[in-house]
Amino acid sequence: MKLLTKASRTYFLVSLVVFLAASFVFYFIIRSVIYREIEDRLLLEKHDFELFVRKWKHWSDENFFVENKIQVVALQGSEINQQIVFKDTLMYESFEGEAMPFRQLTFQTFIDGQPHLVSIRKSMLEPITIIEVVTGTMMTFLAILLVCLFFIHRRLSKTLWLPFYESLARIKAFDWTRQTGKEEEVTFPTGEIQEFNELNLALTRMTTQICHDYRGLREFTENASHEIQTPLALITARVEQMIQSENLSGEQLHWIQEIYHSSRRISRLLESLLLLSKIENKQFTDVAEEDLAASAEQKLDDFSDILKHKRIRVEKKLKQPFRLHMSHALQDILLSNLLKNAIRHNHPDGVILLSSRNGVLEISNTGPDLTVPAEVLFERFRKESGDKESLGLGLSIVRQICDCYDLRVTYLYEKPFHKVMIMPAVVTSSAPEEQAPVSGTVNS
Amino acid sequence: MKILIVEDEEALSESMVQYLSREGFVCETAYSLDQAAEKIELYLYDAAIVDLALPDGDGLSVIRKLKHIAAATGIIIVSARKALEDKIRGLETGSDDYLTKPFSLPELNARLKSLIRRRHFGGNNEIIFREIRVNPYSRQVFVSNRETHLSRKEYDLLLYFLSNIDAVLTKESIAEHLWGDYVDSADSLDMVYSHIKNLRKKLAGPSDAGYIQSVYGIGYKFRSL
Repeated sequence: MKLLTKASRTYFLVSLVVFLAASFVFYFIIRSVIYREIEDRLLLEKHDFELFVRKWKHWSDENFFVENKIQVVALQGSEINQQIVFKDTLMYESFEGEAMPFRQLTFQTFIDGQPHLVSIRKSMLEPITIIEVVTGTMMTFLAILLVCLFFIHRRLSKTLWLPFYESLARIKAFDWTRQTGKEEEVTFPTGEIQEFNELNLALTRMTTQICHDYRGLREFTENASHEIQTPLALITARVEQMIQSENLSGEQLHWIQEIYHSSRRISRLLESLLLLSKIENKQFTDVAEEDLAASAEQKLDDFSDILKHKRIRVEKKLKQPFRLHMSHALQDILLSNLLKNAIRHNHPDGVILLSSRNGVLEISNTGPDLTVPAEVLFERFRKESGDKESLGLGLSIVRQICDCYDLRVTYLYEKPFHKVMIMPAVVTSSAPEEQAPVSGTVNS
Repeated sequence: MKILIVEDEEALSESMVQYLSREGFVCETAYSLDQAAEKIELYLYDAAIVDLALPDGDGLSVIRKLKHIAAATGIIIVSARKALEDKIRGLETGSDDYLTKPFSLPELNARLKSLIRRRHFGGNNEIIFREIRVNPYSRQVFVSNRETHLSRKEYDLLLYFLSNIDAVLTKESIAEHLWGDYVDSADSLDMVYSHIKNLRKKLAGPSDAGYIQSVYGIGYKFRSL
């Protein structure tokens, strides 16, 4: 929910409650005030009535010209009740021709020694109208006030939060991988609101730090590569010079071979680790539309020698393209690693199956049984085969690349096939890319 | 053939000089951008080997300068940076080849020779070793004047040997020369073995000199006898 919507909604609900409660309370206050006034008047009239009766010893309706104002009824017996009762009642009024609300005071008194029940009434028509008009007017004004406040609040919120939205937009657009220079750090506007300025200051500090760290990391990977590969180059070169000498014993040759081998291994290891951290740091920012299925097919050509050598048969079931927006270099590494694995862990006269259908790219190969759970193969330095040349980083790199592009990669062993499947992760934020036409069938 | 080696790691530079001198190159060294600039102004080189990361700047500026002063000089970049964009940038600046560290000396030598052949002889001069004659332009191989048909990889292998006569080449360096870094497993060494076997068979003329000798555990050597 948006900030403004949330604030408006809360404001609206609170206003509604306040409005209803205020109207209710207001109505009852007005009503009680008016009732007390009327009852006071009725008591005054009772007093007048008693004075009149005491003086004249009788009561006559003719004294009043308004009908039904005072009603006197003779009671039986000689006792009277001192109780005074107020109540609302409806009486027929001949003037209006319909029943009208009245407030009625009932008491018992002696007229000329005889007990009588006396009811004094006052029309409530006007007071009720007053209550209604006053309450209605108040409610209308209150409603107008609240509505006005609501819109003022909305308007004010919009302007007040403007710097916040501005900062939000900038931080959303902030891409640390693009910040290569020194001064292009994101700037946030300063306004008159202290909290926003503090927020912007904190954001500026954070983004600067992020850019700084990212640059540091980038430089580190570049420097590490240079600083370590150069001594390794020297070792390799010196070994190559050493083996030119004629008078080396078999044992010495063996040692030299081991040195040579190890230095090459370190070099490859370093390269793979740096690649992993580069992918992790999102240093591959170029994006192009790639068809992994077609690229994999093309890539197989690069391996044609070794495929022929190991007499590996390749079966292709490329029903549809596997299109993706990704870095070309990473795509190349991804497919290379997978195909290399499929060849390396294959046995002579084996099979490699390359298929792309229903949005799944699958590379499977025959090979020796799996001795560890498939999932751990993606861990770093995890080697399944006894191949000493293998670094155990190939599948970690594959996984890292897949993570970068929201792809899910699964390893499955279904005897005799080792299958690596790549598919878009289940939760795709963007709309599905396209429905691949079946006409694009590339079948071998 | 005179070449300039621009590399700040002195021992590595020395080792390149030693290996290439043996192959008949006259080598000059520069350890910094300044030295390189000075030498380029003074002498004319057939080729230059340039490291990109120099203590006083980017090696690409040496290449720009070379292109400006002596466009005929062939250039090979030697760099620790392996990224594709670095290679592209190097080639766009005007270098002819790009080698990543650590590289193998025979590989550097072979590339240097191939570069000089392309630059100075239009790739048309034949490589002759005793009864073996190779035409790099048409990729034809003649043994005792009879054409021998070699596969693409066998041809590359022969040329690699002919560029490094009497030098021990490691199996790894041969595999890398033939397949780049596509294959770096036990399989590729196995393949080297089978290619060597085929090449030996095809080269064995009437004289059956047995040029390719194995060096136990390490690799192979093409003997001049």
